[in-house]
Amino acid sequence: MSSATRLYLSNDTSARAAGAGLLADAWADRPDVQLIRLSSRGAFFLEPMVERDSPDGRLAWCNVQPEDLPSILAGTGGTPVRSIPFLANQTRFTFADFGETEPLALDEYQARGGLKGLEQAFRLTPDAIVEELRVSQLRGRGGAAFPVWNKWKVAQQAKGRPKSVVANADEGDAGTYCDRMILEGDPFRLLEGMLICARAIGASRGYVYCRQEYPAAAVTLRAAIQKADEAELLDIDGEPFPIEVVEGAGSYVCGEETALLESLEGKRGVVRARPPYPAQAGLYGQPTIVSNVLTFATIPQILSRGGAWHASLGTEQSRGTIALQLGGRVKHPGLVEVPFGLSLRQVLEQFGGGMAPGSRFKAVQVGGPLGSLFPAAGLELPICYDAFAKAGAVLGHGGIVVYDHETDMVDLARHFMAFTADESCGKCTPCRIGSVRGREILERIQAGGGTLEDLALLDDLGETMKLASLCALGGRAPYPVLTAIEHFPVEFRSKLRT
Amino acid sequence: MHELVEKILRQVRSGPPNILKALLALQQQVGHVPVEAIPDIAHNLGTTNAHIAGVLSYYPDLRVAAPGRHVIRVCMGESCYANGCGRVLRVLQDSLRTDVGETTSGGKFTLDTMSCAGNCAVSPTVLIDRDLYGRVLPSQVETMLGRYR
Ligand SMILES: Cc1cc2nc3c(=O)[nH]c(=O)nc-3n(C[C@H](O)[C@H](O)[C@H](O)COP(=O)(O)O)c2cc1C
Ligand code: FES
Repeated sequence: MSSATRLYLSNDTSARAAGAGLLADAWADRPDVQLIRLSSRGAFFLEPMVERDSPDGRLAWCNVQPEDLPSILAGTGGTPVRSIPFLANQTRFTFADFGETEPLALDEYQARGGLKGLEQAFRLTPDAIVEELRVSQLRGRGGAAFPVWNKWKVAQQAKGRPKSVVANADEGDAGTYCDRMILEGDPFRLLEGMLICARAIGASRGYVYCRQEYPAAAVTLRAAIQKADEAELLDIDGEPFPIEVVEGAGSYVCGEETALLESLEGKRGVVRARPPYPAQAGLYGQPTIVSNVLTFATIPQILSRGGAWHASLGTEQSRGTIALQLGGRVKHPGLVEVPFGLSLRQVLEQFGGGMAPGSRFKAVQVGGPLGSLFPAAGLELPICYDAFAKAGAVLGHGGIVVYDHETDMVDLARHFMAFTADESCGKCTPCRIGSVRGREILERIQAGGGTLEDLALLDDLGETMKLASLCALGGRAPYPVLTAIEHFPVEFRSKLRT
Repeated sequence: MHELVEKILRQVRSGPPNILKALLALQQQVGHVPVEAIPDIAHNLGTTNAHIAGVLSYYPDLRVAAPGRHVIRVCMGESCYANGCGRVLRVLQDSLRTDVGETTSGGKFTLDTMSCAGNCAVSPTVLIDRDLYGRVLPSQVETMLGRYR
């Protein structure tokens, strides 16, 4: 007789950590419930979120407990998803289908426009694909923000064979999770981007280097690769294009592209001196495109909608949308996809919803553990590459962490230097030795034994690390520390020995 | 040990010898990578002991000793830091009477830290074996541990 009610519940790792797993267990045996597990919308402060269909689109119940089931089944108290401001005010393209689709349903992916970019790529010449990317002005989303077309052109023209496409799924910056969401929630979008790249540069094998901390992502991705293979998608102009998922082993620096390649070859993940760049000589010395997961996932729509469409979004130097990931003491942590150009303040207020209850704003850090800190006075800065570069800061991978009034800035600075000291690959001296000295100085200040000279020493040390390190780990590590001292000098001085 | 190493490595062999893959495969099946196995691994992959030892010591996730029955990892990433992971870690240290990187006497729990589980929007984060806990309050630590005690 009466059929079960379809309820939608995310299967994303963070949704599960917030309680979606508990709900699924509690309702598993209910004959009146048919649970469909989806990707997450990224409004994590509302998770676990349960949705059902209605004439007005999906209705959502937020922060659900198992005992809320009767009202959900009765259809009382739900909110139309499209009236949730956090979601309604975003401009979603790459993340448009999140919360709507089942991660491994290839037919749903296709029904919503998936694979159109790949079809277009097969209609174009490799040169024309690169040209489309040039027009789009897409820059890499992994941190370095290098023009994507430029790299592809180099790899396309390189002579070595076989060429490889490597998706960087190391997502090492603490405070970032958009790659994880893609890997777990919309894996075909990543695979489509990799296939388009392979077609453009003439690559014959693909790899996804996935960090060990993302076990669910690796499982979903492997299943998606198998489905794509069964659907005969892993094929370029009649040649097979196998994609392999390779797991890392907990090293932050392995997210750096040359260290990543060393690690893919099974060696110590130590940074290589560049040039040659991976596009010229990468995996086993052959031409290789290493790009971030989000970068690849952005590409299908650039092909299907056109490069000019992408270039029409954002600001002069920063085209398209940026996936910001809010964390720390904001009231509404979650994923925010918006065109470049909003100010930090707009993002924190309109999407972040202000501070978490009981918290007062102290500082915000943008761009992961190597990103600069901003005090309240720095919040007018527009979120785009050029404005950040001018301020000596980076957008990195789009992580935004808010610290509240209880944060001890000296301890936070020590925490950053300790991180770099732990993670330095050891290849260059400024980073290997500098980070250890930096940590020691900060520990001394924290213990009450520091002097004014120590602050000057940190400054000197920071300049050396910035200028002389081999990669951005040592080169950027001083920024959070020096911006902490710059904006909160009193806290540091009050700890000095008099 | 000879036969075991040989058997496990045979399963993962494909393409050029890959030290990291071989060590991860061993760790997955044995639980850790015993230092005594280095010569066998080196022989098997056609490389030197020093190369194997170099890779083994480089990666934080490769273990040379067996961990406790349950491995607890507290995220020390910035979102977790801002949300009080330090307090959570202290409660765990007190409750287990053990320090970071150590195993409780009796071998039940190993306490460790990690840097970001990608769960930053639901932080602070604690990972016990394969179970990920989010929005962990210091006051919830005992109940959480109770499931594994
Ligand atoms: C220490 C360090 C860690 C990095 N970690 C990552 C990472 O986890 N994920 C990533 O995509 N890029 C990371 N990068 C940037 C990569 O080196 C590289 O620029 C990027 O993968 C290129 O992809 P994109 O062009 O799509 O941005 C890191 C760089 C450094 C210096
Ligand atoms: S900072 Fe802890 S999960 Fe990301």
